[in-house]
Amino acid sequence: MILQTALLIGLVLFSVLAIALRDLLKSAISLAVASLLLGIVFFRMGAPYAGVFEISVVAGLITVLFILTIALTKSGEEVRESKLANVVFPVVFVAFLVIDALVMKELVGKVPALASGAEAPTFGEALWKGRTLDLIGQIAVILAGVFAVLALFRKRDKHE
Amino acid sequence: MIILFVVLPLIVAGLLPLAGKVSRRVLPDLLANATLLFLLVYAAVAGRALIAGGPVLKQSFWLGEAVGIRLALDGLSLLMLVVVALVGLAASLFSIDYMEHYGAKGNYYALYLVMMAGMNGLVLATDLFSLYVFLEVAAVASYALVAYGLGHDELEAAFKYLMLSVVASAFLVAGIAVIFGLTGALDFAAVASGLRELNAGPVLGIAAALFLLGFGLKAALVPFHAWLPDAHPSAPAPISAVLSGLLIKVSGVYALTRVFLNVFGLTPALSTVLLWLGAVSMVVAALLALGQKDMKRMLAYSSISQVGYIVLGIGIGTPLGIAGGLFHLFNHALAKGLLFLTSGSVQQATGTRDLDEMGGLAKRMPVTAATHLIGALSISGVPPLNGFWSKLIIIVALVQAGHPVFAVVAVLASVLTLWYYLLIQRKAFFGKLNEKWAAVKEAPFWMTAATVLLALLCLGIGILFASTVTTWVQPAADVLADGIHAVAGSWGF
Repeated sequence: MILQTALLIGLVLFSVLAIALRDLLKSAISLAVASLLLGIVFFRMGAPYAGVFEISVVAGLITVLFILTIALTKSGEEVRESKLANVVFPVVFVAFLVIDALVMKELVGKVPALASGAEAPTFGEALWKGRTLDLIGQIAVILAGVFAVLALFRKRDKHE
Repeated sequence: MIILFVVLPLIVAGLLPLAGKVSRRVLPDLLANATLLFLLVYAAVAGRALIAGGPVLKQSFWLGEAVGIRLALDGLSLLMLVVVALVGLAASLFSIDYMEHYGAKGNYYALYLVMMAGMNGLVLATDLFSLYVFLEVAAVASYALVAYGLGHDELEAAFKYLMLSVVASAFLVAGIAVIFGLTGALDFAAVASGLRELNAGPVLGIAAALFLLGFGLKAALVPFHAWLPDAHPSAPAPISAVLSGLLIKVSGVYALTRVFLNVFGLTPALSTVLLWLGAVSMVVAALLALGQKDMKRMLAYSSISQVGYIVLGIGIGTPLGIAGGLFHLFNHALAKGLLFLTSGSVQQATGTRDLDEMGGLAKRMPVTAATHLIGALSISGVPPLNGFWSKLIIIVALVQAGHPVFAVVAVLASVLTLWYYLLIQRKAFFGKLNEKWAAVKEAPFWMTAATVLLALLCLGIGILFASTVTTWVQPAADVLADGIHAVAGSWGF
């Protein structure tokens, strides 16, 4: 319980740091740490596949992409940021915590236990048989992403 | 084979970049338009026969085993499929000439068809998470399409749109998580029955608020509208037409009404919230539209205002109000699609969107001016065009349901609408021809054909409004008026 609480507090803390830090590199690394902690939480709650994806894709792959992009970007002029963000974020964060506490208070004891053990479908069954339509959607999102990259990084024709 | 609505555009989208290598123009134009024409004919001709005996529930099988592809087609989803195919086809026909100077047509149509597949999937989805996934499919394709011109404005608008859309998605996922926590289910039927058995007032209220924020942002209702007046004008004209005519309605209004009316059930409190959101959007956006000089930006504000009418109609909750709201959704999709296309013709001919620089264009572009006038009068609610009937139904429903103040506000907002549309008409098309535009010519064939098609539909539906309502709108309104019974009883797989 103590470990779980520590993991969750760490998760929130590093998520906030990822938003609040001005240095992009530090921000990306904070996000990776938050994601790593979330992956561990998934493992401990009996969802190893979710944990593996969280750690390999979000903490690993996406962080590498972020860091590569930051390394390829030259530091230019200082971007002026609205000070409003410094006020809005803490307010929204506190509001979120309050709403989250209220929801959780109501949900505790009411959340129906999901099927687990022998009767529960395996990860493969749940993904391929249970959520096949979402996989088609996922393929569509990947197609959209690929076409977007092709379209947005295209060479303009001579007559354009 | 209702899965064709999702799978066919995706398959053709996958082939289009390759087709674009073989033939830079003809093959992509042909493939994309033929696909959309097929979907339109399939929805319009076979659709009504399919749902004649009640909603069609489709469970797919793969090598003899049931897989988790469950789709449902009822009156409401059929109406949306027809609207998507109709406006989608018109905008796609317009693209044949309009997108010529943008280049990479194969990629353009591929993204366009993925967006169509996303909207169709959203409309046919039977559970909350699939609805979210297809909402994202349509959204991801639309971000790239808004930025397609690659200019500074386009990229900035696409980024702003992306950021606010991601916030909307976050609210939706949070709402879905709360509902899943409450009921242990995601499909509409199980969630609707689960919520009926649970007494989960406060938590359900929070989930409803999260959905309202998410769908409100997607539908660009005031005060969640900040992204729309940037995103819609900056996109290429056919994309503006699809975003304003279809996307905000499918991923905003359709999703909102399906979830609130068929899954949660419309409570008096929710009805009041929808009425107020609708009325505020209607008035505020109409006032903001009046101050615009950019033709497409004025149209974008008008979209927010007209979505207000739709939500106001559906928010009444009575069968007549819902029918009025859905009929206005149908009419606005056609008329706003038409207006964005004609504004694209004007922009392509003159190179500007600034109304103050235009003037007298009707002399050079008579067909564009005439079709624009039909669209403008239709949205303003001038008889006998289609927009008049839907606004009339909404106003009658408001009076019948005991909301005379909202009815008066709706009439006044309609006067404002007519005012700013006459402003566009006078500044752009009427008056003395600005000498700068002496060499301007009428838009090319396909661009004109697409606008004439939509204008004829606005006129035809206005004249044959009774049969349109009975054939397409009433079955859809019945589904929503049935409330949770429409899905809880009959949508179990």
